[in-house]
Amino acid sequence: MLTTTFLRSAGRLAPLLLATALLTAGAAGCDRREEPARPDGQAAQAAETPRRGGTIVTGWISEPNGVNEFIVPSNQPTNELLHQIFLQLVDERPDFEQHPPTFAPELARSYEFSPDHKTLTFHLRDDVLWSDGVPVTAEDVRFTWQAQTHPDVAWDNAFMKESITDAEVVDPHTVRFHFSHAYARQMLDVNEGMIIPKHAWEKLPFAQWRQSREWFKENLVVSGPFTVASWQPQQQVVLQRNERYFKKDRPLLDRVVMRVIPEQSTLMAELNSGQVDFVAQVGPGDAPSIRANPRLQLYAYWFSRLTVGVAWNLTREPFSDPEVRRALTLAIDRQSIADTLWGELGRVASSPISTGFWGHDRSLRPWPYDPEQAKRILAARGWKDSDGDGILDRNGKRFSFEILSNAGNQQRIDAGVMIQEQLKRIGIQVVPRVVEFNTMLEQADAGRFDAVTSGMTVDTGLDLTSYFHSRSVPPEGINFMRYSNPEVDRLIEQSLKVMEPQAAKPALDRIQQILHQDQPVTFLWESQRLSAASQRLRDAEPNVLRTLYNVEDWWVREP
Amino acid sequence: MLGFLLRRLAASLILLVLVLTATFILMHLAPGDPTNREASRLTAEQRENLRRIYGLDRPLPEQYLRWMTSVALRGDFGISWSQQRPVADALKAALPPTLLLAFAALFVEYAIALPLGVAVARRPGSALDHGVRVVSLIIFSQPVFWLALMAILLFSQVWPVLPSSLMRSLGYEQMSPGERLLDLLRHLALPALVLGVWASGATLRLVRGSLLEVMSRDYIRTARAKGLSERRVVWVHGMRTALAPILQIFAVSLVGLLNGSLVAEVIFSWPGMGRLAFEAVLARDYPVVLATTALAAVFVLAANFLADVIHALADPRVRE
Repeated sequence: MLTTTFLRSAGRLAPLLLATALLTAGAAGCDRREEPARPDGQAAQAAETPRRGGTIVTGWISEPNGVNEFIVPSNQPTNELLHQIFLQLVDERPDFEQHPPTFAPELARSYEFSPDHKTLTFHLRDDVLWSDGVPVTAEDVRFTWQAQTHPDVAWDNAFMKESITDAEVVDPHTVRFHFSHAYARQMLDVNEGMIIPKHAWEKLPFAQWRQSREWFKENLVVSGPFTVASWQPQQQVVLQRNERYFKKDRPLLDRVVMRVIPEQSTLMAELNSGQVDFVAQVGPGDAPSIRANPRLQLYAYWFSRLTVGVAWNLTREPFSDPEVRRALTLAIDRQSIADTLWGELGRVASSPISTGFWGHDRSLRPWPYDPEQAKRILAARGWKDSDGDGILDRNGKRFSFEILSNAGNQQRIDAGVMIQEQLKRIGIQVVPRVVEFNTMLEQADAGRFDAVTSGMTVDTGLDLTSYFHSRSVPPEGINFMRYSNPEVDRLIEQSLKVMEPQAAKPALDRIQQILHQDQPVTFLWESQRLSAASQRLRDAEPNVLRTLYNVEDWWVREP
Repeated sequence: MLGFLLRRLAASLILLVLVLTATFILMHLAPGDPTNREASRLTAEQRENLRRIYGLDRPLPEQYLRWMTSVALRGDFGISWSQQRPVADALKAALPPTLLLAFAALFVEYAIALPLGVAVARRPGSALDHGVRVVSLIIFSQPVFWLALMAILLFSQVWPVLPSSLMRSLGYEQMSPGERLLDLLRHLALPALVLGVWASGATLRLVRGSLLEVMSRDYIRTARAKGLSERRVVWVHGMRTALAPILQIFAVSLVGLLNGSLVAEVIFSWPGMGRLAFEAVLARDYPVVLATTALAAVFVLAANFLADVIHALADPRVRE
């Protein structure tokens, strides 16, 4: 309650309207992964001097799942918490818009590849301690790799370590990774996962890890800027400054509280009343009222990893025909959909690699909205309204199909309805259907659907395998469209094989051009993500990688 | 009487087994399984490995029998797949806050419904009666989440006197026992009031109806005729009879409040069983879903059993 007195006012009705609006608009979490932003009006006060001390209460709609990421399901709060308590070898910078991501030193002072790129050597800092005083060494790095790849631990992301054959301890502060071959993602793959404490966690055999979530909380030692002071399940996690953190002048804050508030309208109410200082994710509907509130600040940043589109089932008639898919794209007014749902916070997407990535093909332009052309294409393929009922037909079969969306994701549900209306104008009958999330996934995986509004997330390694490679058809991957194009398969493999990520650009451009012609997915929009904070919070720079990205530099105006 | 109780107990147990079996089957019929998470790029091999770790690779009947025997013989609910810890631990953490909230709400409900119900039953057709009817009808027809949001708006924003989320304040560890109790009560206030006030509408109608019906009976007229005070007539003679149906409802309304507490738990960020069960369903965490269902079923059956006992005590005809 340290902050209750800060923002307090009487007689405002806005939050109420906001609250009820949110109940219907809840921006639901069915996106495959999370990303970062930039403050709205903070540049003006850049002259202020940071001060030490104070507490920040951050608000999240779900609880971190635990402190051992190799056994718990991943979600945004877990990822954000882990980065506050542990270190990685290096820290991926959010600079992937202009070029492949670069890495800042963290646990490792420096690193170098061998000339053939088959070994990668990290030189660790020698002044980093676990919170119990034990030094962090190369042994911890090796133990982390062993845990990540152990079958009994069964880490979700273990596939990223498939090409690493060994993590060799050269000396206490030098560790050398050996790879089976050289490829573009080596740095990303080797760096994935926080370094965990060998001396504390090796006491529990790997076979017991999957049932011991609480044990890791009880036996936690940290190396990051904060340590866990208390964990109240389903309520809040209190993070306390780690006095043994290797950067002696960081973090500036004494405490960061991660408060779990599953209902978005309650979360917004607490932001308004000053009980919460920072909300990691707010919906686009809240942007105007946050901007209008002088005690709040809004951070908006392109959610580069995610594009949303209508994915077609290519094994079903008539979606198996690329001409028909192009006609459908031409007949869907994507600009008006993006404008309606996102306003200035969104734009029409044209590729699975969004415009926020260096790998986006800048020569690509979204298909225009041209229903007349769409009609001509369909007529040439034999689709005519021969019985005069207003709906196109061919060989006695009407052009009618279902679009699936998942319950709770209002934007995608709304998009389905708008598409229904737009396609009706050229004589296509669309039935939007809303199903529970797991049901949607199962139908998509089993190929029991016509079309599905779906988000596609591509990480900063720009690996398109799981969506567009022919061997990624479920259950092996998430190519539920059943897209199969030998040239694209080859280009994807080629884009991953290069030694320097930059060298993949020609292959990535070509893939995007082919997908643009083939339209296995009609891309609808890419959008910004929003975080909000009280004005007392200074120097926060949330981004798509993490909203708490630079939390050690955050500070508050008064305690 | 003992025979009656045993018969009821046996029926409850059979019902419990049926409920659990049905839940088990329904959960496995629902699409999805805990290893097909979104974004997961598990290879088929990894997926098999996970299924082995959590025993999902066994045939369904075997999974069912294993689970039933482990619960019945050892009281062991298994390991939660989404929480990587024993289900019993998850239940232990979530049950007390839910019970606390449900009993607090029950207290509020009856603290409003009993006196007000009696007051309006004594003056049927009065302005008070009409007023209470309209207000309670309006409140009871609102969705709980809406009442909850209004309460947050009023008492945490416009007039910020009560916290709108969690069970404790930040400085809880440094508080004295007295301050801790006060802190807990302050956090309990909004959810308990919202649930209690909401539920009191229907109970109030029941109290009024039951008492009105009793008050027209002959023995009440006798009691009045022999000159007892009206207070004594209503509270001692009238209420004793009128309470039987109310007590029966009492047990059932505890169950209703446990249901309503899911909404309160979500909106007020109150920890508890509702959220545990809800999140488990979304994650297809079968062991937790089964355990929470089992617990809820035990509650309902126990409440009904209790209601039957009360009824049997109050009315000898039921026992035969």
